[in-house]
Parts: sequence; structure tokens; C-alpha cells
Amino acid sequence: MSRKFKDGILNGLTYISSIIGVLILGSIMVYLIVTGASSINWHLLSSDYYVETANAAVNEDYVYEAPGAYSGEGYYSKKWGVAFEDIVTAHKDEEIQVTYVDPNSPFNHMYSTVAGDDNAAISLTVGNTMQNIYYIDSATGEQVYLSQGSMESAENLVSVLDEAESIVSVNFQSLGGGIRGSIVSTLYLILISLLISLPIGIGAAIYLHEYAAKTKINSLIRQGIDTLTGVPSIIYGLMGVTVLFPVTQAFGATSTSILLGGLTLAIILLPTIISSTEEALIVVPQSLRDGSLSLGATKSQTIFKVVLPCAINGILTGVLLGIGRVIGESAALVYTTSTVINDNPTILSQGTSLALMIWSIMSGEQPNYELASAISLIILIIVFVINLVVKLIGKRLAKSFQ
Amino acid sequence: MFADAKRIRRNKTLDKIFRYLFLGMAVLSASFIVIIVLFIFLKGIAPFLPGYEYGQVDLISFLTGSVYRQDQATYGVGFIVINTLICSFLALLLSFPLSVLTALFIAKIAPKKLGAAMQSVIELLASVPSVVFGIFASGVITAIVRYLASMMGISTFGGSSLLAVIILLAIMIFPTLTSMSITAIKAVDPDLESASLALGATKTQTNFKVVLTAAKSGIFAGAILGLGRAFGEATAVSMVAGNKLFGPTIDLFDITRTLTSTILTGLKETTGLDYDIRFSVGLVLIAVIFVSNWILNQVKKRIGNQV
Repeated sequence: MSRKFKDGILNGLTYISSIIGVLILGSIMVYLIVTGASSINWHLLSSDYYVETANAAVNEDYVYEAPGAYSGEGYYSKKWGVAFEDIVTAHKDEEIQVTYVDPNSPFNHMYSTVAGDDNAAISLTVGNTMQNIYYIDSATGEQVYLSQGSMESAENLVSVLDEAESIVSVNFQSLGGGIRGSIVSTLYLILISLLISLPIGIGAAIYLHEYAAKTKINSLIRQGIDTLTGVPSIIYGLMGVTVLFPVTQAFGATSTSILLGGLTLAIILLPTIISSTEEALIVVPQSLRDGSLSLGATKSQTIFKVVLPCAINGILTGVLLGIGRVIGESAALVYTTSTVINDNPTILSQGTSLALMIWSIMSGEQPNYELASAISLIILIIVFVINLVVKLIGKRLAKSFQ
Repeated sequence: MFADAKRIRRNKTLDKIFRYLFLGMAVLSASFIVIIVLFIFLKGIAPFLPGYEYGQVDLISFLTGSVYRQDQATYGVGFIVINTLICSFLALLLSFPLSVLTALFIAKIAPKKLGAAMQSVIELLASVPSVVFGIFASGVITAIVRYLASMMGISTFGGSSLLAVIILLAIMIFPTLTSMSITAIKAVDPDLESASLALGATKTQTNFKVVLTAAKSGIFAGAILGLGRAFGEATAVSMVAGNKLFGPTIDLFDITRTLTSTILTGLKETTGLDYDIRFSVGLVLIAVIFVSNWILNQVKKRIGNQV
């Protein structure tokens, strides 16, 4: 075999393996987009995950004028000032959804009949799905029960309602399947973890680069921090629930909580923050420090007023990488924030981050690939943007002291 | 004059305070590794000590056992350790040649722009969170496994299998291995290459025989890092492992169970033996990572010395 031929084969192999790498990334993206992209909309971002059912009765005293005309989408019931359309939900259920409720509509002036709600005022809102209705038939004057099945379609429902003498009570549901709660939890986690790991990480980086002489103890400290990078995140989770849980109890937590997850993530972020801060400190020229010191500034003044401002890009990189890590982290949170999806998370309550929500809906009885892929796409977009910004900052950092 | 002296003294005290503050933060950061190992050790060892509140577990049968059943309270992790090793090493075997070749492509062979674009692909792949890989694995990789199995006339558990775990882990450690290899290849002394070229070797011969040989220590370091990642990967693996109750699993199309999937799946209550034993499994995971790292670093020293 000629040398040229052999070389060609070897070079070809490197091309093939690179193509495989591109194919992997490509197929991940294509799969997520095909499965999840259609589920991404404002409703997904803004609504609750759980379906909530409401039982409401129409206020009998309420006297209404027949509401005005309507020109939007869906089938409009002129008599009651409400419009519906047929939809298929994320869970593949066929539902009749409310698309419009007139301010004067009786559906806007109801009270809850659920025990414990003390007849609180409630109204049908856009996005709700109709479950069943009790109405008084105008022909017979008797109360009629209309189940979800017998509504058939939005068109049919409107024609039935237009025949009704009055509406007695309605049972409707919110659509659910949204990720608002998880977005809020993720923001909490980012905030808590950065708030704690930033000062500690920057301080440690300053010590390691500005103060530490080459002693045995200092190299031990460095080794300890380096080893943290190799610890699997699930081990961090186990540590968090044993070591940090008592800390959160002091703040009033009774179970695993977002605070606990945030504290655990803070430790996970430490090596990232430390190394990116230190990399930026290395780039700051020694002459700047010498200049500041020889002008009579103390070492701490030099650090705070000369060195740190120059290292701000590196710190920013650390923050961004940290945000990316928090958004993507799941294993460490299973033990610390629990896998219960929470629509109204607080710092001391349980809740899931976006990534953990994916784990939660995928490990259930019926995994919802559409929703999981939609959340994944959102996570990936954020992470990719962060990557891009970090790269740009890195380029600026490399140029800054040339 | 007096005011100046006072200010200088105050600045000096402030300097000292900050020095100790920074030192304290560094020590705190470094001490977490000790805290992690210590507390997981204490919690993980508890079920094997006499007087354990939910009934003492025999340490030997825990470490050597080949059945892990929550419902029967039989906990043996021996086969799980073997499973974890099988999954990780086979994933490394699959990923290693691909990533070294890709690294060579990026660092030496590709035109500059194509190489930079390819490097971005690797970086993007590295930033994909593991749970996203998990969805991809349970949506796509399992489908591939099902297809392969049906071609060979074997039935699988919906595609969840040892093979799926191996492919998934190979993909997940690919960016780590590649970027470490790129660093190692770029660090090779250009004089070595020039010498090889001057002796009449072709560019490709030089790349494959001289550059890769000179970079092998760094490439091996990447392999160690990748293996560590494979051992510790939890969420994605748990989605396709299938959690077999006994083992070890050597059939590629059979379901398996790794240390991490054991810790993660079926978590319901936060008290009791079933919860506490997960910390013991975590302790075993730490031990596996530590021991394999130590052994591989010894091997790496030997390889490094041969150059």
C-alpha cells in the first residue's frame, strides 16, 4: 500500500470521528426541536404546572345587560358574553377552552362553591377548560346537567348555552402544564448560590493568588479545592442533606428546601468561581500592583481598588458559568430540594428547578417527552448563550493587557 | 503627624484582618472536600454498626452481595460496583478513539476555520446538562437499541439496557476527552514535529506517530477525568439503566444498575434503612472513584516515563 493511500485513510478517520461529533450534537438538537419546540409558548412560561379545578355558582342577584359583540377567535355566545374553542392539551386531552369572557358576562360574577372557600368571588378566565355546567332549560324550566362529554364541541356548547334560561353553576379547570413555578425556583437557586459562593470564592482566589506563599499548607488548600471539581454532583447532594440541612433548620426549614439546594449549589460553584477569578488575577500585570504599593497604598487597598477592578471580567465569567451550572444541575438537587414540582415556591419550601422538573416528569409513570423537550430547549438556549458570552469575555480578557 | 501614624496603624490592622479573612475563605473552600468525605463516611457506615435503629446490616454481605431489593430489604452492592465499572470502561473504550481522532483533527489536520468551528461544537456538547442527555437517551438511544435488538431477534425492556448506558456515557465523556486531548496535542514541542518531518516522515505519519506519542500522558489524564465523570454521572444514566435487581449484567441488551442510579431512583421516604443505605452506596461510589483514580495515576506515571 502506498504511503499516500495510508495517510489518506488515517486523515479520513479523523474527519469521520469529527463528523460523528457534529452528528451527535445535531441529533440532540433536532430531537429536542422536533419533540418540544411546538410546546414552547407564553402559556408554558407563565402558567402553573398543576391543573386546578374550580366549582362556581353564578350570583343570582347579578343583573347583567346582554354583553356586546365579539370579533375574536372561537365560537361566541352572544347571550352570555363568552367564547370557546376546541383544543388538544399537552397531555393529549381534548378540551373546550375559554378564549374570551366579557366583563359584563355572568361568568365574570360567580362565587366559589368549594367547601372552605367561604363563597369567595371567582370568575371564568381565558385559558380555562370547561368541565361541566348546570343550567336552567328555557323550554322546560328544569335544571339540566351538561357533562364534559355531552358538550361535544365548542360550537355545540355555544348553541346549547344560547338556549339556556340561566346558568346555575360551572365546573372548570386551569390548563396546567406550565413551568412558571420552576422558573421562579431556578431564579431563587441562582440567587442563593451566587450570593454565598461569590464572596467566598473571590476571597479564596485572592488568597491563593495574592497572598499564598509556596508552603505545604497552601498547596494542600489548593489541592483540596481542585479535588472538589472531581466530586460527582450526586455526592454533593448527599452531603447537602446531611451537613447543610441543620443550617437551613436554623432559618426555619422543616423539610428539604430551595434554600438547602441553593447552599449545596454554592459549594458546587466554589471551584468554578475560584478558578475563573484566579485566571483573571493572573492576567493583571504585576507592575500595576507594584505601582499601587509604591504610592503608599496598603495591600488590601491595592487588591480592592486596583487588582479586583481589573479582574472584573474573570469574575463575570465565573458568575455566568455558575448560572449555567445551576440551571443544568439535577442530581445534587434530587436530595436537597426534593422532586416535588411546586407552583408557588418560596425559599423555605420544596420545589424543582427547570432541570429537576425534567427529571421529575420523566421519572413518573407516564413520561411527558413534549414538555421535557420544551424545557430542555429553553435550558439549552440559555446555556448556549452563556457559553457565547463567556467566550466573548475571554477574548476581551486576553486582549486587555497587551 | 500623630493623625498620620494613627491612620497607618489602622490601615495595618485592616490589612491583617483582610489577610486572615481571605485565608479563612480559602481554608473554608478547601475544607468542604474533607466535610463531604467525613460526613458521608459517618452516615454511610452507620447501618453496619451495632445498635443501628433500623436493624444492623452485615457489611461483608453488603459489599459482596449480588441482590439489591428495596422491597425485601436485601442490599448488596458487589454486582453494582462491577456494573458501574463495566459501563464506564466500555464507554471509555468507545469514546477514546473517537475523541483522540477528533482532537487530532481540530489541533493539527483541519483548516483553521473548520477546526475552530469543530471546537465550538465540542464546547457546546460539553455544556449540555446531563438531564438533557437523559431525555435524548430515553428518546433516541433506546430507540436505536430497540432497533438493533429487534434485528437480532432479542427483546429489550423498552430499550433501557447496558448498551444504552454505554452509548450515553460515551457521548457524555466525549467532550471531556476531546478537549483534554486537544490541550495535550497543542502542548507538544513543535521541534519534535519538525525533526520528524525533516527525517522524511509525512505530515500524517508525524501526527499519528510523533505527536500522539508525545501527547499520550496528557491524553491519558483526559481519560482518567472522563472515567471519573462516567462513574459519577447520575441523572441521565438513571433514565436508561432500568435498575436491575440482581447481577452483574454482561448482556448488552439486558437492563443494568449503576451506583448512581441506585442512589437516585426509587427515593420515597427520607428516613429508614432504605434512605440511609443510599449514603453507604455513595460512600462506595467515592471509594470506587478514589481507588480507580489512584490506580490509573500509577499507570499514567509509567506511561509518562516511557517517552
